[in-house]
Amino acid sequence: MPVNEKAPVLLNMELGCGLWLMTLRSPIIARAVEPGQFVHMLISGMPDHILRRPFSVYAVDVDKGLLEILYQVVGVGTDHMTTLAQGAECELIGPIGRGWQPFEDTSRALLVGGGVGAAPLFMLAERLVAAGVDVDVVLGARTRAALSTLDHYKMLLAGAEGCTRDKPRTITDDGSSGRKGLCTVLVEEALAEAAEKEAPYDYAAVCGPEPLMRAVASLTATADVPCEVSLEKRMACGVGACLSCVVETIHGKRRACVDGPVFMADEVVWA
Amino acid sequence: MSALAPKKTKVKLAVDLGGLPMHNPVTTASGTFAAGKEYADFVDVAALGAVTTKGVSLNGWEGNASPRIAETPSGMLNSIGLQNPGVQHLVDRELPWLAAQGAQAIVNVSGHSFEEYVAVIEALEAGAAAGTAPVGAYEINVSCPNVDAGGMTMGCHGPSVEKVVSACRAATERPLIVKLTPNVTDITEIARAAESAGADAISLINTLLGMAIDARRRRPLLARVVGGLSGPAVKPVALRCVWECHNAVKLPLLGMGGIVTGTDAVEFMLAGATAVAVGTANFMDPCATVHVIDGIIDYCEEQRVSDVNDLIGALKC
Ligand SMILES: Cc1cc2nc3c(=O)[nH]c(=O)nc-3n(C[C@H](O)[C@H](O)[C@H](O)COP(=O)(O)OP(=O)(O)OC[C@H]3O[C@@H](n4cnc5c(N)ncnc54)[C@H](O)[C@@H]3O)c2cc1C
Ligand SMILES: Cc1cc2nc3c(=O)[nH]c(=O)nc-3n(C[C@H](O)[C@H](O)[C@H](O)COP(=O)(O)O)c2cc1C
Ligand code: FES
Repeated sequence: MPVNEKAPVLLNMELGCGLWLMTLRSPIIARAVEPGQFVHMLISGMPDHILRRPFSVYAVDVDKGLLEILYQVVGVGTDHMTTLAQGAECELIGPIGRGWQPFEDTSRALLVGGGVGAAPLFMLAERLVAAGVDVDVVLGARTRAALSTLDHYKMLLAGAEGCTRDKPRTITDDGSSGRKGLCTVLVEEALAEAAEKEAPYDYAAVCGPEPLMRAVASLTATADVPCEVSLEKRMACGVGACLSCVVETIHGKRRACVDGPVFMADEVVWA
Repeated sequence: MSALAPKKTKVKLAVDLGGLPMHNPVTTASGTFAAGKEYADFVDVAALGAVTTKGVSLNGWEGNASPRIAETPSGMLNSIGLQNPGVQHLVDRELPWLAAQGAQAIVNVSGHSFEEYVAVIEALEAGAAAGTAPVGAYEINVSCPNVDAGGMTMGCHGPSVEKVVSACRAATERPLIVKLTPNVTDITEIARAAESAGADAISLINTLLGMAIDARRRRPLLARVVGGLSGPAVKPVALRCVWECHNAVKLPLLGMGGIVTGTDAVEFMLAGATAVAVGTANFMDPCATVHVIDGIIDYCEEQRVSDVNDLIGALKC
C-alpha cells in the first residue's frame, strides 16, 4: 500500500558524468519497498513544474530509514534536483508498482543494467545473492566514469559464495572500462558460455534504454531464458488512475505505474 | 497511515448541485481520479462531496497512442483519448465499490453519437435500479478535445448540445450536469443551449486545446500532436468561463480548472460556482481533494462565513 511521505534530503552528491546520488529520509517507504519498485517524487522548489518525477529505489537502509536514488540529469527536474542540499524537503509517493519477480526456484540469474538502469537492479542483486542464487551482472555505460554503480556491485559479488563470477562484466562505448561496445555483446557472450557449460540461466532481468531491453528480450527469448524488463513511461498520477503511462502488452494496455514498471519481456509489444 | 479526512468544522458545507445533495462542495474532475479506488489509500473518498468517475462509453475505447502527456508551464497536456473498459465494468465493479465506501458518484458519460450517450445512461439506469450501482448524477461530456467524433466537436455547436442533452434528459430523471469546453467563441451560447434542453447543472471547464514541441528533435511531445491543457495554467480562463455562465444562465455551476488550494476553490464559488472539482492537482498531491476542503473551511472560519452557500456568486464588482 503506497503512502505519501515527506522526505528530507540528507545527501546529494555528484558521481560524475551527470549521475547523482540522493539520500532521503523516508522510513515508511524504505521499510516497505521491494526490489524494482519506485517512488514518485515531488521535487521541492519548482512549483511551476507540476508533475512528480518517478525514480527507482537504488538502495535502502531500513534501520536508519534511508532511501537512495541514483539519478541522471536529463531535463529540468533532474537538473533542479542537483541544487537540493541537506534540509530540502521532497515528498515521495511509494513504494509503487510491480517490482522484479524472480521465481522461487531461480538458481542462475543474469542481470543487465545499461547506464542508470543499473540502479533498480541493485536491490534485486542483493536479494538474489542473499538467497544463494548464482548472479551474473552485466553493466554497460558510455564511459568508465559513468559506471558509478560498479564498486557497489563488485563489493556485493566479491562476498557472494554462491556466485560463479566474483565481479560484474563491464563494457563501455569508448572502451575505458571493460570491453568496448554495447551491453548486448556481453549478454550474447554470457548466454553462449552458459550454453557451453550446460549451466543455463533460469531468470534474466534488464533495465536501461529501450533498444537495449528490446535486444536483450530477444536474445533471452532465443536462449529460452525467462526475462523481465523495467519500462519507463511518462507518468502523471503514479497511482494507476490517469492512464498516462500505458504500455502495449499481449493482454492489452497496461499501466506502467501499477501493473509495471516491471513486465515479463515476452508480454510486451515493442513499439 | 490511514486515508485523510477533512477537519471538523461548524461551517455549513452542504450544497445542492441541481438536485444532487453534496455534503461539501468538492468533487473530483473526471479522468483524474479513476473511480476512486486508486486514491483510497490517500483520502477518504466518502468524505468528498462526490466522486466524479472517468469518462465511460458503451463498449469501451482503446484511447490514444503514447506519449499521452507532457508537462507545460504550470500545467500539463493530456491526450488519453477517453480510454475506458466500457459502461458494464463501471456498473459491475466500480460503482458498487464506491457505494460500499459510502461515497456518492457523479458518472461522467461519453459517446461517439447521440445514441451512444443514451445507451450508456440506460445501462447505468439499469444498474442503479437494481440497487447495486447507485448513481448520484450524470455529467455529460460534450467537451473532450481528444477524440475525433463526439466530444468537443459536439460541444462546440449549440444545436448539437441541445440535441444530445434532450436525448439524455429523456433517458433519466437523475440530475444531469453538462460539461462544457472552453474551446468556443462564446461559452454562454452553449450553456444556454444546455439549459434550454433541460440540464440541471453545468460543469466547466474541460481542457483547453494545446500542443507542445521538442525543438531539438523537431517533434511534438504528444503522439497525437495536440492535447488538452489543464492545471494552474488554465485557472484564469476557467474563472472567466464560470463568471460568464453565472451571468448567462440560472443553472448551478460545477467549476473546475487548475484548482489546487481551498482559496482557488473559493474563487470559483465567488465567480458563481455552487461546487468545484479538483483534477490535475491530484497528480501533484494525492490528498489534494481533502486539502481543498480543509482550505475552504479555513477561509470560511477566517472570514466568518457560516455557510459556504453565502460564497456562491458573491464576487463584488
Ligand atoms: C518507473 C521509473 C523509474 C525510473 N527510475 C529512474 C532512476 O532510478 N534514475 C533515473 O535517473 N531516472 C529514472 N527514471 C527516469 C526519470 O523519471 C526521468 O529521467 C525524469 O522524470 C526526467 O525528469 P526531468 O524533469 O529531468 O526531464 P524533462 O524531460 O524536463 O521532463 C519533462 C517530463 O517528462 C517526464 N520524463 C522525461 N523523461 C522521462 C523518462 N525517461 N521516464 C519517465 N518520464 C520521463 C518527466 O517526468 C516530466 O514529466 C525512471 C522512470 C520511471 C518511469
Ligand atoms: C489525465 C486527464 C484525463 C481527463 N479525462 C477526462 C474525462 O474522461 N472526461 C472529462 O469530462 N474530462 C476529463 N478531463 C478533464 C478534467 O476533468 C478537467 O475538466 C480539466 O482537467 C480541468 O481541471 P484541472 O485543471 O483541475 O485538471 C481529464 C483531464 C486530465 C488531466
Ligand atoms: S501514471 Fe497515472 S495511471 Fe500510471
